[in-house]
Amino acid sequence: MNRSYYWLIFGLSVPAFIWLVPTVWMVSLSFQPNELLARTTSSTALGLIPIPFTPDNYIALFRFGQVPMWFLNSLIVSVGMTLAVLAVSTTAGYALARLEFPLKTPIIILCLMGLMVPEQAVFIPLYTMFADWGWHNSHHALIMPRVAVPIGVFLMLQFFKAIPKDIEEAARIDGVGWLQIFWYVMLPLARPAMMTLAILTFLYAWNDYLWPLVSAQQREYFTITLGLASIQANFAQAEGLGRVMASGVVASLPVVVLFLIFQRYVVRAMTAGGTKG
Amino acid sequence: MPQHQGARLVLSQGQAAAILLLPFLTIYAVFLVYPFFKGVWISLHDWNLMAVAFNPDAKAYVGLSNYERVMWGSNITWGAWASPAFQFIGLAGAVASAWLYRTGRAGKVTALAMGGAALLLFVLPGFHPGEGGRWYDRRFWPTVGNTILFVGLAVPGVTITAMLLAAALDGETRAKAVLRTLFFLSQVLSVTVVTLIWQIMFSPRQGLIANLTQLFGGSPIVWLTAEGFAMASIVIATIWWSLGIAMILFLAGIQDISKDLYEAGALDNATGAKAFWYITLPNLKRTITLVVVLQIILHFQVFGQSHLMTNGGPNDTTQVLVRYIYQTAFRDSELGRASAMAVFLFVIMGGFSILQFVLGREKDQ
Repeated sequence: MNRSYYWLIFGLSVPAFIWLVPTVWMVSLSFQPNELLARTTSSTALGLIPIPFTPDNYIALFRFGQVPMWFLNSLIVSVGMTLAVLAVSTTAGYALARLEFPLKTPIIILCLMGLMVPEQAVFIPLYTMFADWGWHNSHHALIMPRVAVPIGVFLMLQFFKAIPKDIEEAARIDGVGWLQIFWYVMLPLARPAMMTLAILTFLYAWNDYLWPLVSAQQREYFTITLGLASIQANFAQAEGLGRVMASGVVASLPVVVLFLIFQRYVVRAMTAGGTKG
Repeated sequence: MPQHQGARLVLSQGQAAAILLLPFLTIYAVFLVYPFFKGVWISLHDWNLMAVAFNPDAKAYVGLSNYERVMWGSNITWGAWASPAFQFIGLAGAVASAWLYRTGRAGKVTALAMGGAALLLFVLPGFHPGEGGRWYDRRFWPTVGNTILFVGLAVPGVTITAMLLAAALDGETRAKAVLRTLFFLSQVLSVTVVTLIWQIMFSPRQGLIANLTQLFGGSPIVWLTAEGFAMASIVIATIWWSLGIAMILFLAGIQDISKDLYEAGALDNATGAKAFWYITLPNLKRTITLVVVLQIILHFQVFGQSHLMTNGGPNDTTQVLVRYIYQTAFRDSELGRASAMAVFLFVIMGGFSILQFVLGREKDQ
């Protein structure tokens, strides 16, 4: 390592610090008393260090208000959507990658065309459909529109295509059926791809804003992402800045932890989602 | 044909495929294919959300008149100088893409796409109401213009920052890995967390930026409600939020560049910034195009930043297309007109998706 390397790292630490300031500030404000924040947000080091320190905002958050319920809704919706996406994407991806059957190419083209349709182009008809069925204000209303997503099928399709044929053929000779091959041979091999797809879906579900905004009108069915939007409009007056910031921290915690633990998968998932869908 | 083989039922390939595909195809048909066509169908009707909710027959087929009411007006004429800023950029872009293609700096698809988009930018803003004429919907085209402006500011901002960072942070050392993580972190936050943070960052009374300017004796700017600053604010928040993916794509692109090129360059004294300019940049062309197209698709659908930080204001200067669709549908209850705008959005997004697909294909060859 030469001198210019250390200069580079030093030079980049400054923008990296600036990049981190907004997040640090949110965390720091969430640990400061509301009475203080009503007067000033820059008591120690521009407010970046939480002195005076108090955990009261978090205690209040879990004792009163709807944040815990929203958090639970987000968990149910995100986990439910992730499991459903995995189920339909692995099955369809395997069939399209490894089996021969009529209408295969038209089905693949139909899926490809689905990549072109953004959520924002179908949210109005989905709203009227769900209104007719009485589905709004429920967990399944938030889950179902994003279950059969082409990107998931293509992610799995590409993965299954890359597996050598002879693995299957050995099993075929022993008289094993296609569904058994899928379940006992292919799925265990597909774990890394499933992990990538799971993280992509979980992040999307946790962070989605537009569809929950349209579909969930009762506060009991808000996700944390939507709930956070509903309390930030009047942040200073209603609940105190510190408590709103604590809500923001709680809302970010799962995705940040997920990112820090599975960084490589998250990066792969987001680039896969980015380049192909 | 099911055949009995021993005691077990063995399915043919076709039957197995049908069973495996059925769940996906059913859900896909009900929640994506059908809504898509229903959206087009709604756009051909005078369809009031409330009225139809009470009486399903309270809608009337009106043909294309929703599209006319949204996008057209009375006495519309065309002029080459109706909207000089946009049209000049469009014309310049068309010339630039022709030049890039001629000199071999851009591929055929890239040049065609760039030229096409630039020509549209020249032609479309040229339409304007003539003597005594007016747009039927005064807000639609300005909204589209704001969306394009937002994309035009955010995309170069993200692309250039991400490219420089990727070039500097490529490498296997621990310090670089930590820095990459820091820059990527904000990408995983939800839009509502991002707007929460930046709304307060920009606040003239409590904001960190205001506190900083006061520290240096300046007076705080009312970022989110001052014309000119509001758009800048949501662009800054967006760049901060969405830098990560672009940086990762550039890192992948840089790792594909042969190390031999840099070694050869080092012999000619090309290191650091010189190496970036003469080696990295020319070899990143395809990645740059991909990142730009990707960002255009992503940011054209901007909603949360405008909806939560500025409410589309001040004076509609940060009103964007998706927010206008949302409001037309769910505040004004005009589902027909909102759907016409959604179809418009789909056509633009579809065009860029096809472009993205073609570019991705080119890469594989």
